[in-house]
Amino acid sequence: MDKSWIDTNTFHHSDFKDIGRLLAAKHHKNVTISLCLPTLNEEKTIAKEIVIMKSELMTRYPLIDEIVVIDSCSTDKTRQIARSYDVPVYKAKHILPQLEKYTGKGENLWKALYVTKGDIIVYIDADIKNIHHRFAYGLLGPLLLSDRIRFAKAFYDRPISFGRNIYRATGGGRVTELVTRPLFSMFMPELTQFLQPLSGEYAGYRNVFEQIPFHIGYGIETGMLIDIYRKWGLNVMAQVDLDRRVHKNQDTKALGRMAFVIIKTFLNRLKKLDCVDIRQDVFDEMIQYQLVEDHFQPEIHAIEQHERPPMIQIPEYTQKFSQTK
Amino acid sequence: METYLSELPRFVDQIRKIREIIISNIVLVGQIPAPTFHERHRAERLLERLSDFNADECTIDDYGNPVGIIRGTAGDKPAIFVVAHLDTFAETQIEQNYEVTDKTISGVGVSDNSAAVGVLASLPEVFRRLELVFESDIVLVAPTQCLGKGNLNGIRQLLNYWPTPVRSAVCLESVELGRLNYYSAGMIRGEIACSIASASQSGHHHAPNAILVINEVINAILGLRLPQKPRTQIVIGKIAGGFNHGKIAYDARIGFEIRSDSDRMVKELYGDIRDIVDGINKSYAVEIKLNRISNLNATALRHDHPLVKCALHVLKRLGVEAECEPSETALSIFLQNDIPALTIGLTRGDNFHQDGAMIEIEPLYRGIAQIPALLTVMDNGVCDG
Repeated sequence: MDKSWIDTNTFHHSDFKDIGRLLAAKHHKNVTISLCLPTLNEEKTIAKEIVIMKSELMTRYPLIDEIVVIDSCSTDKTRQIARSYDVPVYKAKHILPQLEKYTGKGENLWKALYVTKGDIIVYIDADIKNIHHRFAYGLLGPLLLSDRIRFAKAFYDRPISFGRNIYRATGGGRVTELVTRPLFSMFMPELTQFLQPLSGEYAGYRNVFEQIPFHIGYGIETGMLIDIYRKWGLNVMAQVDLDRRVHKNQDTKALGRMAFVIIKTFLNRLKKLDCVDIRQDVFDEMIQYQLVEDHFQPEIHAIEQHERPPMIQIPEYTQKFSQTK
Repeated sequence: METYLSELPRFVDQIRKIREIIISNIVLVGQIPAPTFHERHRAERLLERLSDFNADECTIDDYGNPVGIIRGTAGDKPAIFVVAHLDTFAETQIEQNYEVTDKTISGVGVSDNSAAVGVLASLPEVFRRLELVFESDIVLVAPTQCLGKGNLNGIRQLLNYWPTPVRSAVCLESVELGRLNYYSAGMIRGEIACSIASASQSGHHHAPNAILVINEVINAILGLRLPQKPRTQIVIGKIAGGFNHGKIAYDARIGFEIRSDSDRMVKELYGDIRDIVDGINKSYAVEIKLNRISNLNATALRHDHPLVKCALHVLKRLGVEAECEPSETALSIFLQNDIPALTIGLTRGDNFHQDGAMIEIEPLYRGIAQIPALLTVMDNGVCDG
């Protein structure tokens, strides 16, 4: 196992705070950059993300060429608010509408490949309360200043917001520590060097993202790491410390369902790579229990495991991008 | 006069075009907690923003005031100040992640006075977009220690050491659009604290109760006769005390403010309150103390001062109704130093000092447009001579 990656490919966002330098590198490489914000009912946070990114990395420094919101049919004012700040907003189901329709963050990210134009794509979750433009330039830094790195992933200290005004100094990452890290340790120990493999913020070159399948739901981050690692190796990857990220806390049951998807994604990958032989059916239902009056009642969650193929295999995509090139 | 008034629609349009920069500044500066006497982090962030937007000189002075200077074209004209107080009522540890929607910005302290501080940070960019240059240096300051016990110390000290004459000043408050202050009432702010000695507390159900003693003080203050002229008011704005429902309170305190058009009246009433406190001290045999935490003298620009007239014209042309009230802010300190000054409000808002404080975004553009208009007339000499 190569243990040196964590030393050579781990950065801090402040390494890239000279945005003028990033801009020069962008021009030198002659690349364009798209920022994708996947949303589902993010009316409280979406505007701030758009406003700060637009102000700091489009108006003041033209580092980002476009911001695109891909929405999973939010029922709140997410789309209306995002549009009011003059960014394109798409419902995911309206992109490539002839394909079977799925719902999930991974679906939004995959479809963003079709509607965005950039050579580099930055994905940032839309629920970040303490958003700062470092979330974007921190991830872009390694891609622009290195010729080797093609994918950069965030990690951070993760305080959790409990209600209105109180937060704990550390926390979060429970699924990482209880599920992902043990699995990586058992089967792909090099990937344990990613301090937060499930972080929702990453950036990479289009020609990386378009060549890997996208899990439509919570499995997106796990699948993406494994696929990039298997296809190009650890050396094209980097991780960047973005300091603090304040996010919504999820209850344990929701985290359980997340863990279910991640384990399933992992098993599917292992199976595909002929690393394990599972000799029985693996079910798609997560069963949880809750006490109702005096008896335990099962809650059965059907968790679909869909995966989009590499976008480059979609004819509409290849046609669109061969024309633009 | 018509020249700058006719520019107002262009100002509003251009300012709207950089709304993301303005909102970002409000958010990025306003989210840094800055309770009075603990403003350092916010001061540093503001300075960083002013520097990012190419203010010519940026520094934090010995009193913690962040100062950015946009150099004027004439070396010999006195400087014009634009100020927005930096401190807020919020405690340091309170999370201050603001929420932005298409219409509002909400979060702790946004309406007092974080929005104005964010606007201050945006002014170099506003002037650049409007292609405005001034003969005078424009000094952008967010004074510290303005609220409560701060007693406007930051701006007092700044004007004490400022080496050259000051031509005039505009003070910015986040809310309310239409606010136009050009005079300050005389004011003394004080606290009365009552505490029961610990020996009297234990086991005595009939020991003196600090809340009841403070209640006597309040009743006595309410019994003071206030003249209709000069206009005079006593506001009891804060109260705290006690431990739990069933325990006799062994401490209680109130905060009050005496305001009057007459400094003499303020002093007389403060003397009356001191007499009340002394009397109750003797009657109840408790420890009760009166403490003055800040004071200001009454001072004013005349209502027909050319600067006031210009500000009224600007508001009228912007379609905003002017509301003129006295204001006990940095304005008082400028006026006491014979520097013509105004306080203006920038937008509309709600829940000013509570959870859920918010400001509206759309009126902000008209609110900000007042600043270049007023600076232009000041730079053209409306306050000179």
